[in-house]
Amino acid sequence: MDPIMLDIEINGERRTIEAAPNLMLIDLLRDGLHLKGAQVACDAGVCGACTVLLDGAPFSACTTFAFVADRRSLTTIEGLGANGALDPVQEAFKAKSAFQCGYCTPGMILLAKALLAENPSPSRAQIRAHISANICRCTGYQMIVEAIEDAAARMEAAGGGK
Amino acid sequence: MNEPTALRSIGAVRPRKDADAKVTGAAVYTVDIELPGMLLAKALRSPHAHARLVTIDASKARKVPGVAAVLTRDDLEGLNPTYGYFIKDQPIVALDKVRYVGDIVAAVAAEDEASAVRALERIEVEYEKLPEIASIEEALAPDAPALFEEPPMGIVPSYGAGASAEKDPKKNVCYRFQFTTGEASAFDEADHIFEDSFHFSRCQHYHLEPFVTVARFDGDVMELWTSCQNPFPLRKELSRVFNHAEQNVRVHVPFIGAGFGAKNNCKTEPIAVLLAKMTGRPVRFRLTHQENFLTQSQHAALLTLKTGVKTDGILIARKSTILLNAGAYSDASPLVAEKAGYRINGPYRWRHIDSTCDCVMTNSTPAGPFRGFGGTQTSWASESQLDMIARRLGLDPYEMRMKNLLDLGEPYVPGESGIDSDLRVGLDLVADKIGYHERKRGPVPGARPGRARGIGLSIGFKDQGGVNKPASAQVKTTTTGGIIVNCGSAEIGQGIQTALSRIVAEILGTDETCVSYAPINTDITPFDQGTNASSGICVMGQAIERAARDARRQVIEFAAARLECASDELELEDWVIRRGNEAHPLPPMIMGTYGGTGFEFVGRGFFKPETSHDAPLEAPCVAWEIGWGGAEVEIDEETGQVTVLRLVVSGDAGRAIHPLVCRGQDEGAAVMGLGQSLFEAMRYDGTRLTNIAPIDYRVPLASDLPADFQSVTQEQGHGAGPFGSKGMGEGGILPVASAIANAIEDAVGVRITELPITPERVLAALDARR
Repeated sequence: MDPIMLDIEINGERRTIEAAPNLMLIDLLRDGLHLKGAQVACDAGVCGACTVLLDGAPFSACTTFAFVADRRSLTTIEGLGANGALDPVQEAFKAKSAFQCGYCTPGMILLAKALLAENPSPSRAQIRAHISANICRCTGYQMIVEAIEDAAARMEAAGGGK
Repeated sequence: MNEPTALRSIGAVRPRKDADAKVTGAAVYTVDIELPGMLLAKALRSPHAHARLVTIDASKARKVPGVAAVLTRDDLEGLNPTYGYFIKDQPIVALDKVRYVGDIVAAVAAEDEASAVRALERIEVEYEKLPEIASIEEALAPDAPALFEEPPMGIVPSYGAGASAEKDPKKNVCYRFQFTTGEASAFDEADHIFEDSFHFSRCQHYHLEPFVTVARFDGDVMELWTSCQNPFPLRKELSRVFNHAEQNVRVHVPFIGAGFGAKNNCKTEPIAVLLAKMTGRPVRFRLTHQENFLTQSQHAALLTLKTGVKTDGILIARKSTILLNAGAYSDASPLVAEKAGYRINGPYRWRHIDSTCDCVMTNSTPAGPFRGFGGTQTSWASESQLDMIARRLGLDPYEMRMKNLLDLGEPYVPGESGIDSDLRVGLDLVADKIGYHERKRGPVPGARPGRARGIGLSIGFKDQGGVNKPASAQVKTTTTGGIIVNCGSAEIGQGIQTALSRIVAEILGTDETCVSYAPINTDITPFDQGTNASSGICVMGQAIERAARDARRQVIEFAAARLECASDELELEDWVIRRGNEAHPLPPMIMGTYGGTGFEFVGRGFFKPETSHDAPLEAPCVAWEIGWGGAEVEIDEETGQVTVLRLVVSGDAGRAIHPLVCRGQDEGAAVMGLGQSLFEAMRYDGTRLTNIAPIDYRVPLASDLPADFQSVTQEQGHGAGPFGSKGMGEGGILPVASAIANAIEDAVGVRITELPITPERVLAALDARR
């Protein structure tokens, strides 16, 4: 199979990448680009440990071909925060200890970012419904919900925005 | 020696030590490790549940481009090819037989996964199918085939008062544990004797990081990075299996992406090591989600309780028979049998106990340690039966518990340590939170006609800290006041790095940000038996406390010698020695004695409970883990649907070293229990696991949380750990299923004795009652 050329903006940086047409996005990230934050657990698009954002929307990288990211903006956990400071969602997860083993955490944080971009003041029920897309086996979810509420408050205090 | 009186770190709500690594995705797990020239391994697994391995030919597979090695039973020369805990019955790859669907028959190391899979497809295997054992009942039938024609080699450890065990007591039972106190004649004192049976389902741990190992040979050294909770026992076992000197086996444990007990002893390590040996290159062996389900599971169980009581509800005697479904290999089943047989009586006072627990072998995934470790099974049965008996006697289940609970400090059984929580305080706490006393017992109408509400309580119970478990630790201080904690407790999500660092910071009078937690490397880390049994705080915590006190003592004695005064005149705070109003920073003092290159003080600590033949398990239990629970449910009497409206769980941390970590443990455990109570289970069709695909195995999601879900961390202060602490890893899972079943009986008067409590089961029970 001849390789194809992909033009992807990854964490704000535009990159040209040569890839096999059947390369999965998760393999591009982990093996090609050594971005190890997105993890493979179920490898079937069910658990969300591989969640990344394409144009701000959550995708499971394990079931998405790399070419789907062509000419789009891709955000991974490594792209959050700037100049050594954490993103408000990361700060909230940290402050609320809304993680344990951490394997689902990058995916959950990106999922939360997508929610808050669309709905800056979600209710508890809305947060629960939204994060039902991703599996966490450690926390029992309640502390993650509270972290997302905290993140929403932090972002509102900072004047909204991403 | 003087210590700071106001606690500076213990109990503070500040970020965990691993927070930055985990929220940025920088945390390194075994699955992230890449070594130059690393090959990827895949396993060929048996499609049959029970069969002779007649022939296996890998010659075609070896010729597939990209394949570096193929491993079969013909490549085990010079090895001791079977491993296990008490019983060494599990082969690296199948030798003569396969014993479950998924049993490994061969493994391939290749440049990439696609080549490895192509090679698997070219391995030619001839099987001769044998009759299959799909259940405990089938295993125990007189005409059942034997999973092991010859009993595998193994040991039975020594036990103390009242406890004993037997290896291979009968066909397809690899281990039997028995425990007794008092006299069987005690049953004559009972006014009533009730016998009830309970079925406990089988779940899978579902740790998101799979089983994974990266292995290589570094000269003579067998070196591995592995997602393993007990690297030192693993080292010993690999040394034995490979006849490789133990000092030349080096195990690293990065962050573990959860385990819940699954990641103990040999899993992916032997194959990764052998392929690395055969190829001379590093090998990563990483399992898929489906393969995790074919590697380890929880124990399904059948528990029969014959309980004698007085008419007023006082418990007299209990005879229990517990059958654990051990799966195809013994794994940790003998240890789980010990604990199930030991915990079945709950935190109550008895005149006579007689328990027998058998490990029954079946052609299914090997069962091993799973959060609760027999206590989950026993709490389900015991706390359910307690409510059933109360109702039969016309007693309030809360009152019946109150009458029989052990007192604070009362030995669990003769020769055992005393209970280190006031059990009644915890029961009152959850009863109050769930509103137990606010309404009378019996069904309360639900929101709509045809619905009924009920409330149930439960006290989940297990011993904590392992058996006779040793732990060692070092605390090192750098010239400028940095602290390095060096011990074998692995960070698996439970927050142990944070907790132990905090304890050390507190004892050394410094900020917890000055403490670094050293990586686990069995060459350098002091020996530890494993990150299990919720022992991190109550066992390793004591070793750490001693190491920190030893370091502190050395620092103060050093300063006293330099200042020519007595040690007890000195205080240590923020790496400054204080003598009355004088402040003496340590760095210049240290460099004054040792030169500009400075020095490290190394504190050492060791803890193990004293061996005692009076204690049934040969050493008194270090701590007791109690999970108090309360549930309010609403039942739809037309569909059998159970809705958990409210769930309250509470554990006693003794002293919460980090309150959010304690809360997270209880809530995470409770939600695991919720899933098992209502829907989560491995579903077998005979010997075939049907819901092995990710879309089919349903674990709890955020949408499954009850509308009102609360956890309360108690700090009763009686723990053996530092500052009165003890562990929180498992208590939360223990009471949930029985609390829900008890609430259902309260609501609609039917008793479900089998998990999961599905609408079908509730409806069948309602129909039977009509």
